[in-house]
Formats: sequence, C-alpha cells, structure tokens
Amino acid sequence: MLFSSISFLYYFLPGVLLVYFLMPWKGKNAVLLLASLIFYGWGEPKLLGLMVFTILLFYGCGLAIGKARKQKFKRLWLIVSVAISLLLLGLFKYADFFIGSFNAATGLSVPLLKLALPVGISFYTFQCLSYTIDVYRGSVAPQKNVISFGAYVSLFPQLIAGPIVRYVDVARELESRTHCWENFRLGLRRFLVGLGKKVILADNFALLAKLFRENGEPSVLFYWMYAVAFTLNIYFDFSGYSDMAIGMGRILGFHFIENFNYPYLSKSVAEFWRRWHMSLGSWFRDYVYIPLGGNRVKPARWVFNILVVWMLTGLWHGAAWNFVLWGLLFAFLLLLERVLPGLKKMPGALQHGYVLLAVVLSFVLFNAESMTQAGQDFAGLFGLGGLPLVTTETLYYLRSFALLFLAGFVGATPVVKQCAQRISLTRAGGVLELLLMAGLLLVCTAYLVDGSFSPFLYFRF
Amino acid sequence: MKKSVSAILVAALWLVLTAMAWFLPARETSVAERRPLAQMPQADVKDVLNGSFMDEFEDYALDQFPLRDSFRQIKSLFHYYVLGQKDNNGIYLYQGYAAKQEYPLKEASVSHALERFQYLYEKYLTESDVYMAVVPDKGYYLAEQAGQLSMDYERLFSLMEEGMPWATHIDLTQSLTLEDYYRTDTHWRQECLLDTAALVCQAMGVTSPQESDYVPITLSRPFYGVYYGQAALPMEPDSIQLMTSDLLDNCTVYDYETGKTSAVYNLDKLDSPDLYDVFLSGARSLLTIENTQAATDRELIVFRDSFGSSLVPLLVQDYAKVTLVDIRYVRIDLLDQFLDFHGQDVLMLYSTLVLNSSSTIR
Repeated sequence: MLFSSISFLYYFLPGVLLVYFLMPWKGKNAVLLLASLIFYGWGEPKLLGLMVFTILLFYGCGLAIGKARKQKFKRLWLIVSVAISLLLLGLFKYADFFIGSFNAATGLSVPLLKLALPVGISFYTFQCLSYTIDVYRGSVAPQKNVISFGAYVSLFPQLIAGPIVRYVDVARELESRTHCWENFRLGLRRFLVGLGKKVILADNFALLAKLFRENGEPSVLFYWMYAVAFTLNIYFDFSGYSDMAIGMGRILGFHFIENFNYPYLSKSVAEFWRRWHMSLGSWFRDYVYIPLGGNRVKPARWVFNILVVWMLTGLWHGAAWNFVLWGLLFAFLLLLERVLPGLKKMPGALQHGYVLLAVVLSFVLFNAESMTQAGQDFAGLFGLGGLPLVTTETLYYLRSFALLFLAGFVGATPVVKQCAQRISLTRAGGVLELLLMAGLLLVCTAYLVDGSFSPFLYFRF
Repeated sequence: MKKSVSAILVAALWLVLTAMAWFLPARETSVAERRPLAQMPQADVKDVLNGSFMDEFEDYALDQFPLRDSFRQIKSLFHYYVLGQKDNNGIYLYQGYAAKQEYPLKEASVSHALERFQYLYEKYLTESDVYMAVVPDKGYYLAEQAGQLSMDYERLFSLMEEGMPWATHIDLTQSLTLEDYYRTDTHWRQECLLDTAALVCQAMGVTSPQESDYVPITLSRPFYGVYYGQAALPMEPDSIQLMTSDLLDNCTVYDYETGKTSAVYNLDKLDSPDLYDVFLSGARSLLTIENTQAATDRELIVFRDSFGSSLVPLLVQDYAKVTLVDIRYVRIDLLDQFLDFHGQDVLMLYSTLVLNSSSTIR
C-alpha cells in the first residue's frame, strides 16, 4: 500500500488512527503491530511470514544477547542474527544479480531464483541489525515485550521507505509517549507537506521522465531536462515519503530522525551525503565504516574502507551493476575531495555547480535500466551520435514543464519553509496554515483520483 | 485563528471525505468518463492471498471516491493554471475547443492500415471504383495554432495516397474547417458537412446534397462529448443537430449483428451515454441502408469509422443500397459470408485518429 493512494489516505490511515486513539495506552502498541502487519500484508500477503520471522528472530537474538553472560555467547547470537538476516536479504534481493553476473562471466546458465522482492526489506533489515548490534555493544537494553518490539520493526510509517529508525532512538517512546494536539497538528502538517512533495512535484517530474523515454525525437536539451527532472523527482519522492513518515510518527507520538536537509544546496559531495538520506549514511558510518577503522588507519586501508562502504551503499540501493558503479562514483568523488583540498577554495557558485553536476550525472547512472542505457544516456547528454541540440518536441515539454521546474528548484531550497515560518508568525498564520493544509489535501486527492498513481521509487530497494 | 483550530478543521475535512468514501453507495458508471466503475470486490481467502483482492480494492477506492468528477476538475484546473502544463492527460483546450494531442505520426500504424486495406482490395474490391477520404482530426486545425505537438498530417496524407494507388483520393481538407467539429467531442457536426458530402458525391459521380433538401432538428439533450469528460474542465456542452429529410425518413437500416431494423437516426439512443450514437446507432460492425426512393439502383459500400455515421446519411440520395462496414469489429476474411461484392462503388472513410492507431483494424 502506498501512502499516496486513496486506499491508504481514506481507508487505512483514518481507520488505524481512530482505533489507535480510542485504545487505552496498554493496547496502543498492539494496535500499531496489527495495523503494520495488515499494511505489510496488503502488498505482500505471502511474505507476511517473513516479516513475522524477522521480528521473532531479532527479538529472540536480542534477548539472548542480553541474557548471555559470556562475551563469546553474546557474539554468537549477534552473528546468528546478522548472518540469518543478511542471508535472507541476499536470497531475496541479490541472489539473481549474482547468478546473472556469474552466468555472464562464465557462459553458464544457472537458473535464476526469480523471488519476489519483499517491500522495504532493506529498510527493516538494517533497522533490525542496528538493534542487535546496539544490544551487543550495550548501548541499549533488549526489548522484553515482543509486541513492542514487533511494533518497532514493522511500524508502518517507516516500514517501506525509511527513515531507518534505530531502536535506540525510539526505545523510550515505545514504552511511553505523548499524544497531544500540538503533536497532531505538527504531524498532520508534515504529512501533508510530504504528500504534496510526492504527488504534485515528484509524480509530475516522473511524468516528464516517462515522456522522455517514450519520445521519438531525442535532443541534447531533452536529455538534460530528463536528467534534471529525475534528480528532482527522486528528491521530492524520497524526501516526501520521509516527511510523511515523520509526520505520521509525530501524530502517533514518535519523534523519528530527519532524513533530508536540502541536499542540493551542498558545496561538496561529502556535505551532500550528510544531507541526503541521512539515516542510511549514518548507519553505514556507525555500523560499517567506523568498525572497519574509519579514517584513523593507513591511507591504503582508508581508501579500502571508503570503497567498501560506498560499494555497499550502491548495492543497498539496488542489485545491479549501475548501482555498484553509482556508489563507487561517490567513493571516487569523496576521495578526490580529500586529496584535492583546493576544491573547497573555489568560489561558492562553482562548488555548488560541481556538486549539482556530479549529482545529476550520478542519478542518470542510477536510473538507467541497464549499463547500455546508461551509456546511451551519457552519450545523449554530451551530444554524441549527432543528436540535435533541440527539437520541437523538446521545446514543447520545456514550455509545458517550465513552472514545475521553477517550483522544483525553489522547493529544493529552504525558501518555502522560511516564508511559511514568517507567515505563521503573523496574525493570518492560522488561516493561511488552514488554507495550505486543506489545499494540499484536496489537490493531492484530486491528482490521485485522476489516476496519478505512480509507485514509490525506493520500493525496489 | 489558532493553529490547533486549523489542524482540527483540516482533520474534519479529511474525516468527512473518509466517511463519504466509506458510507456513500457505490455508483455503477461514470457519465463523464463513459465507463463502468469498479465495484467492491468479494473478499475470499484465495483472492486475498494472491493479492488480487487488494488490487481490485485499489481500483474500487479510486473509482468510487466521493465527488470524483469535481476532484478530477480540481486536478485539471491545478495542472493547467497553476503548474502551467500545456495539456492534461494529452487533452488540451484552445479557443473553446478540446482536442487530443495526436503525436507523433506512427508510420508503422499507417503501414498496418494500408496492409489491411490492400488485402481488402485484393480480396473483394478489384471490380469496384474505390474512393478514399481521410478525415483530419481537430488537431489538423488546432494543434499548431495552440502551440501543441502536431503530427505530420501532410506526410500521413501522402503515405495514404502512395499506399493506395488503386483508389481515387478525395481531399476533405478542401471543404472542412475547425468550426465543422464539435467543441467537446472528436467528431464532426453533421449540419456543417453538406460541402464535404458534396465533395465526396462529386468525386463518386452522384447527386450532391442540397441544403434545401433537409430540415435540421436540434436534440434537446445537451451533448457532452468524449473530450468533455477527459478534459475535466468547465466547458459548455455542444448540441447535436440532425439533418432530416423525407428521403432519410423513408430509409431503413438493417443491423446484421442484432437482426433488427431501425431508422437512420436512432432516437432510442437519446439515453445513450454518447449522444453521437443517434447517428446510425453508433458503433456497429455491419449495417445496410435501404433507400426505396433512390433515383438509381446503384449501390455503395462504405468502409468506415465513427465519422462515417454522420456523413453517410448525406450520401445516400442516389444509392438504392448503402452498406457500412467497420472492419475494427468484423474480420475482413468473414465479410463474404454477409456481403456480395459485385462491383459496387466503394468509399473508404477513415479518420487520422484511427489510421494513427490502427491496431484495431482486423
């Protein structure tokens, strides 16, 4: 079930909130667990068992780590939880990628498994891993209540698209959290802003990307429009989903971590990754990069650490070579920034330009269906193969999408938020907030009813 | 206003829409979209486990959402006037006309149509005088003016001429103008087609229709054309005028599918979702018009799409029998089971819309 669907907005969510707020405190986590399992089972009824198994596996391993007196047993249970969950992740997500690559390299034809990819498996597996690792490290006590733990793992607001919420960050709120009008108001506002980002901006940029793929008259300008449109599409899509998750969490009394902080304002790739999908970046930093030694090692080892982390980051996003290359591209740029400190001395506009160019090109690689298509896209961007600079069709779509691009450029900066904050301090703040929220609800509903129904990009990860 | 009050009001609006979605009775059809609406699926274990119940419920929730047409209108208005998009789902408005963006020219589709027409000619029509008229869609007149993407119509016309050297081609653009089309629909207005009918009749060597021969009658029900529903924007409806005459009143139309006889203008279709169906009963595979008052015993076979329904009544004057065939609904192979081909005049009347999406031609 998508957040941006009529079935979620007008059937599931109101129903769940109604039952949740009517339920006494003791039953609230049970409501969340049940609702989350229904939410998960709605899209993947046959894989519901996998979710239940994951909950029980990590619940059991967490308890076992907590109870084990000897370090070697603690480590054993940690290894059990990590090994089984990575095995499942590997089986469902990466097996066919590795088999396909093996077949291509050897000329053999080992049959593919063709297993359905469980929705959100990368997100909840990483959440669970952080739990047992943190219990092992002694950063947090194991959860004794299986219902509370199940609610944490399967919590529907962040189940399918993050942010990757660590158990340590919500452990206290699983036991006790505040429900108040202010949380409701802020959560509702955040949810509607996220819905607007997804439905009005991201889906329309996705429409342009789709039109580009269908067009019969490619041009260099159209390739660049596509690249920029996809760059904005993925930002508003993903950050919109994060906003919706954080907003719903707030309504339910949780405070989830932020996941985006205007990444396209960055002046370096390193800064970009501190602002983009922050929960994933910090997860890899804390659970892979630092355990590997981080940057407090010899230069060769440090380069190795960077390459490992970014190859895994690429693979996390998808089981295909373009994702691996995408991750390694960022590894290269991060290393470059380290060895060329002069980059930071460039004028600010040039630094922004460099990051934006790198990010736009990286997302062209990211969104390619195959390496062949990625090659064609890069050739198109740089006018290879005798493409015209511009065609009638390109100009039509440029005129048609000009305002959307403008909205996207402005929306990717804090300008809108700052304006909204200033207006909210005025007397008319309440009325304007009402108009904005009601308008977003109605316009997004209108888009959904009209059939603007596009699946969330990050599902495939 | 306190901000908490604004949140309560938004939540109330959400709740009202939710309650309407949950409790309003399901509607059978959408008049604007001319299609049946999805109904609440039956929940059995098998359908739940294989996910088909969920898929069907998603369709149901979308189709049965309260105030569906109003919400579609909000989307269209926002899409056009706030986001500044030039079209909405491929439909655009210009000078009060709604039209579909027909782009690009699909030469493979035109080739498919030509291949089927060639087969038709070789199988049945070698003894006939064959005439070909391509009906330009509204985009021919509107698209470039409106700054819309426009297919290469001249290329399409020349492909048709080159691909059908055995036919006499009639250039309908000589007589047609934008005003000859309904504003809210794909089709042309019969009351504006006398010049076009005369052009066709002259080419075929039969008497042209005269304005004085007809009494126009305007249907009382407003005509909301197919683009009205698709555009989902505020537009005034069209009205349909029927060009009636004693000659047409005395004609009978035999429908091979139903085995029934009706009038040229089928007033039983006044309640149809598509009012254009009054012309020769709408989409039918095989019809014969018997004209007992014809001046000759000549016969005409018209291979046509829906544009033919309103034009053909203006062509029947000299023909004792006119047969209308829609090869989108009947296989060419099977035609000799119903029709006797013996050198009748043959008119092929196809719109650019069908030629550019010809996969339906069998």
